[in-house]
Amino acid sequence: MHVPAWRTLLGRLRSAWSLYDGIFLVPYRAELHREYLQRRDLFLLLGCSDLLGVPNPVAFYTLELYPELIEEFHEWHLRMGMPHAPDGGFRCC
Amino acid sequence: MASSHGDAARARRRIPVLLSDARIQFFGGKGGVGKTTLAAAHAVAFADSGARTLLISTDPAHSTSDVLATPLGADPQQVEGPLWAMEIDPAHEADRYVADVKARIQDTTPPRLWQEVERQIDVARVSPGAQEAALFERVARLLETEAAAYDRVIFDTAPTGQTLQLLSLPEMMQAWMAGLIGRRKKLNAIAKIWKGRRGPAGEARGQADDPVLAALEARHERFVRARAVLTDRAQTVFNFVVLPEQLPILETERAVATLDRYQVPVGTVFVNRVLPERAEGAFLAQRREREHGYLERITKTFSTHPVVHVPLQGQDVVGLPALRTLLTTIDPPSS
Repeated sequence: MHVPAWRTLLGRLRSAWSLYDGIFLVPYRAELHREYLQRRDLFLLLGCSDLLGVPNPVAFYTLELYPELIEEFHEWHLRMGMPHAPDGGFRCC
Repeated sequence: MASSHGDAARARRRIPVLLSDARIQFFGGKGGVGKTTLAAAHAVAFADSGARTLLISTDPAHSTSDVLATPLGADPQQVEGPLWAMEIDPAHEADRYVADVKARIQDTTPPRLWQEVERQIDVARVSPGAQEAALFERVARLLETEAAAYDRVIFDTAPTGQTLQLLSLPEMMQAWMAGLIGRRKKLNAIAKIWKGRRGPAGEARGQADDPVLAALEARHERFVRARAVLTDRAQTVFNFVVLPEQLPILETERAVATLDRYQVPVGTVFVNRVLPERAEGAFLAQRREREHGYLERITKTFSTHPVVHVPLQGQDVVGLPALRTLLTTIDPPSS
């Protein structure tokens, strides 16, 4: 299949940029990931504190976030070294 | 639509002078002061003037169907001519919302979690504030959809406390939602950098298709729109009903202050069940003496608002004819 020259060039530029970006980010990789996870946990706490058994004054409005956030909650308690969800809140497993 | 507006304009001249021009009118006050009666009487008057009018009761006590002597449902139904009415049941609305979320969760959550998720949702269903939230949700949705087809929308609200919470909700929720949205956006920005490092699959999940952010933003926008309507002086007014008695006056005073704080425009103060001049007898003369003091106090307390006296009626105000008579017995505003 024929690939246009500009597309090949674009692809090469992109991988060059990605390589440069990757080299630049290597020292901060762990830091970045930690920051990402921390923010994710904070959002989970603010948005769905009732999953942890902490009363949430706006629980009624965050109900609609459940479908998406329950998955994050499950990931969170596994990452925290708890094979089962903590007592008092949502028992996902 | 143009002709119906023309009719309404022509008819407006026939409406008693005390009726405000606002398209959306709330009636509030302490329990048992006659909110339902006055709201219904206004709705009937507007409908008689040719305006397509929707009377909405948000009071779980549901006296509106009793006053109109017509059974009402959760959707608008025709009472007579251009007069339509409905009753919103907060508990029913909460159930409806909960059922909605449960249905959505079944699509996205693994079946092993359903039971637990439902338990969690049922907890939220009975948590404090849930019914107000559901009620607000319904009112906001109503203002955006069905109510747009009416020339006048009259709300008969629940007693003060619930109503104030209802009206202050958008302000507080807006701030809270904005905070969550801000956090979610920052999270997504970092997620993009982090996941971008892990190949095109991670990169594809951008900010635009984050379902959590989309849900939050949709809700935030609904709050902003509802608040814009509630605080718009050109189309909304909140009328109060009081009795010439100590406790209703105090409660209404506080309520007016609260609405001012949330910038909800306050309109007329209706003083209900004022003893008519022709009521005779030594006992009534004594009552009237006391009443006079309260009436003066009401005029002074609500000096920046028109105060209208509604005389005590000889008979129960039930049914359309009685509601029509009620407004004709009212003197013009005293301020």
